[in-house]
Amino acid sequence: MAKAKLSMRERYRLLTRDLDWEPTYVDPKKVYPYTRYEGIKIHDWDAWDDPFRLTIDSYCKYQAEKDKKLYAVIDGFAQGQGHLSLTDARYVNSLKLFLQGVTPLEYQAHRHFGYLARHLDGPGARFAALCQSIDELRHTQTEIHTISQYNKYYGGLHNWSRMHDRVWYLSVPKSFFDDGLSAGPFEFLTAISFSFEYFLTNLLFVPFMSGASFNGDLATMTFGFSAQSDESRHMTLGLEVLKFMLEQDEDNVPIIQDWVDKWFWRGYRLLGLVAAMMDYMLPRKIMSWKEAFELYLEQQMLEGLFPDLEYYGIRPPRHVEQAITEKEYMSHQVYWILYQFSFAASFNTTVPTDEELDWMSGAYPETFDRFYRPLWERARRLEEEGNRFFFRGLPMLCQTCQIPMGFSEPGDPSTLSIRTSQFRGERFNFCSDGCKWIFDREPEKYVQAWLPVHQIYQGNCGGTTIPEVLNWYGIQDGVDNGEYLTSPDKANWDKWHTGAVVGGA
Amino acid sequence: MTSKPNVRQVGVDLQDSEDSRALVEAIEEDNPDVNLIRMPGLVKMQIPGQLVIRRETVEQRMGREWETHEFQMNIVSYSGNISEWDDDQIVIKWEH
Amino acid sequence: MTVKALYDYNYPSKDRPELFGDDMLVHVMWANNMMFCSAACFRAPKAMSFADFKSQMVDPWAASDPDYDPSSAREWQVNGEPFGADSDVSLADTGVGHKGLFSFRT
Repeated sequence: MAKAKLSMRERYRLLTRDLDWEPTYVDPKKVYPYTRYEGIKIHDWDAWDDPFRLTIDSYCKYQAEKDKKLYAVIDGFAQGQGHLSLTDARYVNSLKLFLQGVTPLEYQAHRHFGYLARHLDGPGARFAALCQSIDELRHTQTEIHTISQYNKYYGGLHNWSRMHDRVWYLSVPKSFFDDGLSAGPFEFLTAISFSFEYFLTNLLFVPFMSGASFNGDLATMTFGFSAQSDESRHMTLGLEVLKFMLEQDEDNVPIIQDWVDKWFWRGYRLLGLVAAMMDYMLPRKIMSWKEAFELYLEQQMLEGLFPDLEYYGIRPPRHVEQAITEKEYMSHQVYWILYQFSFAASFNTTVPTDEELDWMSGAYPETFDRFYRPLWERARRLEEEGNRFFFRGLPMLCQTCQIPMGFSEPGDPSTLSIRTSQFRGERFNFCSDGCKWIFDREPEKYVQAWLPVHQIYQGNCGGTTIPEVLNWYGIQDGVDNGEYLTSPDKANWDKWHTGAVVGGA
Repeated sequence: MTSKPNVRQVGVDLQDSEDSRALVEAIEEDNPDVNLIRMPGLVKMQIPGQLVIRRETVEQRMGREWETHEFQMNIVSYSGNISEWDDDQIVIKWEH
Repeated sequence: MTVKALYDYNYPSKDRPELFGDDMLVHVMWANNMMFCSAACFRAPKAMSFADFKSQMVDPWAASDPDYDPSSAREWQVNGEPFGADSDVSLADTGVGHKGLFSFRT
């Protein structure tokens, strides 16, 4: 006789609560040694609730379906020479930056959620972390498969894992994530699950995946949306974990507020790379960084989420007003950095076309024509005169976010912002009040930062000349780096689209 | 950020795919005030207050059985808080 | 505030001055030229004269901008304070310090 099917709620309870047991002959504090030292007080782990109420059977069933769909699309993309249908080979540079920066982070997330799946006291929380750990491994794999498609035809993607550990601009995402991994479990959850995957995720993934779709990149759009369907589960975990901690004890509130403040600014600075991609690296634009910021951060988060968190005594993140001020020019400052340092990057940059410059004038009426159009027009003249502008040297770096210090004083694009702190008699430099504040909270942590420029000067990066450092990075000079207009990617793209080549290699 | 809107928006972003078509129609049917924006690859649905996805309506539109877990196959992102997710419906709204 | 940890958390700075021996790191900013997205960072001998530092390190960098005229660099500052840019003074004696900042205008 067939048994009546159990409800979702009941199946979830049986999996996460009924299968769990209390340790009796070992002190629970020894079984879970890492969940007390951060000062977060948890009285009742059973209050943890996962709205998705996922169980092993449904998790496996839907993840398998997602993978089947995804790999069918990637196969079709490969067989149909999908890469030739992009808007332009220039688009691939945004993909290079994204895949080089994000793929290794997915793997780190996989590892760390695996650790949480062992070390959180509550079974519901452990199971959510386990699912996320497997998700993150899946994302690593789908991104590697996408890299593999593009690596057959375009430069810059052959060495992403090594580059992540070595290259200057990839130290920005790497140091961000390492900062989270080396914190305690509750700070990690606030940093990655809440701040990155709930608060900022829509700014990272959604415009970028729409951009992929709009620029003919079916492979990326598909892995992106496939990952994003898991991401909505991770978002839920992020919000749940925050509320759970806030509800458990009032003493948790100021600790969490500090983390929300810190990880907002850390994540926001990292998203500077996304801002540059959206405004400069997508040949067909979907929306400007400023519009995306207004929609996803100001409207959805500050007007939507934060009134909800106010109930628990959490206020909007410190320094958010500066981010709002910066929406008028942040993408221009970041891409200007990438443009003049791309001789040492594993992607190409170039001056925007006239149509793009006009689009930016429209999208940034307060700042673009006054500050940035003249720079681009001059850069184009220099390029045409055979004197492509590069910064012939190494930049000053921010000790916290590790981005070259190209950000300006808030509201004043023509004046660079430089902040400093002294610690144990040594001087440290920062790009902003936010990055200085983060350092000053935990200077013992950030004095250990592996700053790419300083490491080159210490002789730890293969040598002191640019060719030696590029070789150590795994970047092929003249192939992967520099100006787009004179790049092999551009030459190949033009060759593939002349219509004269039939068959053969 | 000084003036706070009285009724805050919530919403979901779905993949703009054949699979999502019946789902989008069902959401429109159950949430008459929903505002629909199409972006490349995405359907963005926003509504003041709360958004509900009902299994029965989706099944009618799809002409087959559908369990709420299957919603994961279509969702890209959401804004708000998942306040309820059981066998019959999914409700997204702010709590406080 | 200090780092919360389960053990004594105490590690040296990754860029402490002694790692650079007789040299130091020095930053230079061309304050009124937005062509340069940020200040530059140099490794230079502490004993190097300011004149040599300028002609051997700053000038070649600033010449990334073809309009740069080495004689036009003026209004020098060291860590935000006016600085006479005296040719003979050693970098160490300028008071810039390890990871400090010179700036100029043209």
